[in-house]
Amino acid sequence: MSNLWLIHSEAESMDGAPIIRLEGISKSFAELKANGDISLSLHQGRVLALLGENGAGKSTLMSILAGQLQPDEGVIYLHEKPLNISSTDKAIEAGIGMVYQHFTLVAAMSVAENIFLGHRAPLFHRRRTLEKRVRELAEAYAMDINPAARIADLSMGEKQQVEILKLLSRDADVLIFDEPTAVLTPLEVEGLFTTIGMLKKAGKAIVFISHKLDEVMAIADDIAVLRRGRIVDVRPALQVSSTAELASLMVGREVLLTVERQPMPTRQLLLRASGLSADVARNVDLQVRQGEIVAIVGVAGNGQKPLIEAICGLRRPDSGDLELFGKPWREFFSRYCQDNILSYISEDRQGLASCQELDLLDNFLLTTRFDFCSGPFLLKQRARRTISGLLEEFGVTPPDPQAQAWQLSGGNLQKMVLSREFYRKPLLIVAEQPTQGLDIGAIEEVWKLLLMAREQAGILLITSDLGEALSLADRVAVMYGGLVVDTFSRHDDYKVEQIPQMMAGLWPPKSDELTRMATA
Amino acid sequence: MDIAILIPLLAATVQSGTPILYATLGEIITERSGVLNLGVEGIMIVGALTGFVVSLTTGNPWLAFFAAGAAGCLMAAVHGVVVLLFLGNQVVSGLAITIFGLGLANYFGTPFVGQAAPGFDPFALPILGNIPALGEIFFRHDVLVYISYLLPLAIWLFLYVTRIGLNLRATGEAPVAARAAGIGVVAYRWLGIIMGGFCMGCGGAYLSLAYTHLWTNNLTGGRGWIAVALVIFSFWRPQRAVFGAYLFGGIMAVQLRLQASGTTIPSSLLLMLPYTLTIAVLVFSSWRRGSTGEPAALGTTIEPRQ
Repeated sequence: MSNLWLIHSEAESMDGAPIIRLEGISKSFAELKANGDISLSLHQGRVLALLGENGAGKSTLMSILAGQLQPDEGVIYLHEKPLNISSTDKAIEAGIGMVYQHFTLVAAMSVAENIFLGHRAPLFHRRRTLEKRVRELAEAYAMDINPAARIADLSMGEKQQVEILKLLSRDADVLIFDEPTAVLTPLEVEGLFTTIGMLKKAGKAIVFISHKLDEVMAIADDIAVLRRGRIVDVRPALQVSSTAELASLMVGREVLLTVERQPMPTRQLLLRASGLSADVARNVDLQVRQGEIVAIVGVAGNGQKPLIEAICGLRRPDSGDLELFGKPWREFFSRYCQDNILSYISEDRQGLASCQELDLLDNFLLTTRFDFCSGPFLLKQRARRTISGLLEEFGVTPPDPQAQAWQLSGGNLQKMVLSREFYRKPLLIVAEQPTQGLDIGAIEEVWKLLLMAREQAGILLITSDLGEALSLADRVAVMYGGLVVDTFSRHDDYKVEQIPQMMAGLWPPKSDELTRMATA
Repeated sequence: MDIAILIPLLAATVQSGTPILYATLGEIITERSGVLNLGVEGIMIVGALTGFVVSLTTGNPWLAFFAAGAAGCLMAAVHGVVVLLFLGNQVVSGLAITIFGLGLANYFGTPFVGQAAPGFDPFALPILGNIPALGEIFFRHDVLVYISYLLPLAIWLFLYVTRIGLNLRATGEAPVAARAAGIGVVAYRWLGIIMGGFCMGCGGAYLSLAYTHLWTNNLTGGRGWIAVALVIFSFWRPQRAVFGAYLFGGIMAVQLRLQASGTTIPSSLLLMLPYTLTIAVLVFSSWRRGSTGEPAALGTTIEPRQ
């Protein structure tokens, strides 16, 4: 089926040779394959959307194209000639420009100065001349921007326009937008889409990286879906029937692994949220009992983050009830340290879950220190013996308590964090993307550990991988737009089937659709 | 105050402000590229000694002046090697340069203590020197003072009108952005360090070739530190450095006069004045947060490309 689509897409876009063609691009970081055998074509005047979850390999792929990373294998062709993009300068020379998610602008300088930064220009410049050229360029693409304004005084949307103008002033033919709408207001998003339309008309090739389905449907001519470092599908946008189809492509249904799971009697209620609101998460009802895994699935950015933060005590709930272990939120977190029964396995391994500059022993003691205390003193010898055993058991390389956290690859760091958190034997575990960026062997281990922990604890699993959710969870909650759309048992086959619809905000179906379904 | 006292005092202000101005401008260039160089004091005194020795042996003050600048470059390059090549801590390296420079100059300078070397003598500029009051204050000095009048303008032009200056400022503000724009950020930091070192060395040379023609140990007497503070006072702008240097030069001149006139105010209190002013300025500039013009990436280390 997917091969058929591929042929279609090539036929559709054969109206010109591609500007850029990627062939068999692979890139690995340590044991993790970030990109595997990726082939794509970028055409003049077309928008290619690169769709995928966080960690799917979108950024790696585009960093290769922008000259920041070198591929392990594969060739990039510019107008069908092989091109070696060994640095960002080379990429700029080849006409490839990237609008980064985090803008690379000098805040203290003017718009015009930023645009001409690094240009090969005469030694002396006149501010007026620069500003005039910027104004002309902006007008050509119907952008409204004051060339003399300081970057620090601009809105996010305007800063993005400056980034685009920077690339245009260097005659970029290929513009890559990395999650461009993440920082924009809805009105600014419209402005961006207008600009992209102008760029298309001017014959530029656009890459639009996103995980927002609606936007991709609105702007893309071709859609490539990336999952776990591989292209799972490429097709013209016209041949995509709905956002639900994209959602199911993005999260995947294939079961990578099978883990044995025994049914478990559920016991004590550990977590109860009712009508909970925190930031964009609204009116959430959620329960987690001892002995079950509840998976929250959904496209990232639909309110999972603030919900987790509220549950883990990092953010005060705006309204509604949140009880942990039968105690109200405030009371529980006032004596959180003494209890030490809640574990948060953060997605942000380098930032939240570990201290980069500390060694593994100190990182281990971050959350387990209460077990290794004697009065004011830490029992480091005992802790070292314990952690050495754990590092061996979890297969962390290097298994050296004196190694510093930054020396470990993402996967190994995650194993260290997991070994630490499981050592505590917590009663409630909040695991956020616990297998993101891990290789297949490590994923299996983590899954087994989670299932083992389920015997003692309740687990709230937040994942954007549907296969993972369905392999592990007893119950599934789907989030969209800050709401929990529905919560149902893993064995409710009808609803499991509808998860992509729910993730795309098409649930429950509107009444006329229901009648249409009934008549059909 | 009597005009007959005031005019010589203001002339002395210009004189004692000049070495500070050279050093401040040097530090501004360096910090604008994102490198904090606390070695100004050490670089100045090595420049001063080099200038003095070269002048003593060759009898050519101009050669001595440029030798002092070159010595400043060399000292600054040591800082550059530590912070740019080995990614060392800029504060620690700068402090080490100061201690190293002071020790070096005092050790090699001891045999020269009390000797006199040929240097730059004051002369009145034609026409300008005859303007009443102003002529006496500004235009009856040595050539190094006249150069220092042009230097702020030259550096302003360099920073704001040339492409190299734009790239240098971008390196100091946002090295990541500059690198993304294809700028060789480490090269521009080297440029800032070396240009700055030259100016600092010249500031030292002013002390041993023009301000006095003598060598004494600890000739710089903390002027390098005042320059570091003046950079903040001038909000990293060369044009404002002029006012700062003369303000501090004035305070130094006044306290010298007051000491000479046998005032009852303890001299240590007077010596403290410039630093008290510095603290006041720092407090003031932190109130006006965001508009001080401090390079955003000042003191940061640039990691090499993977």
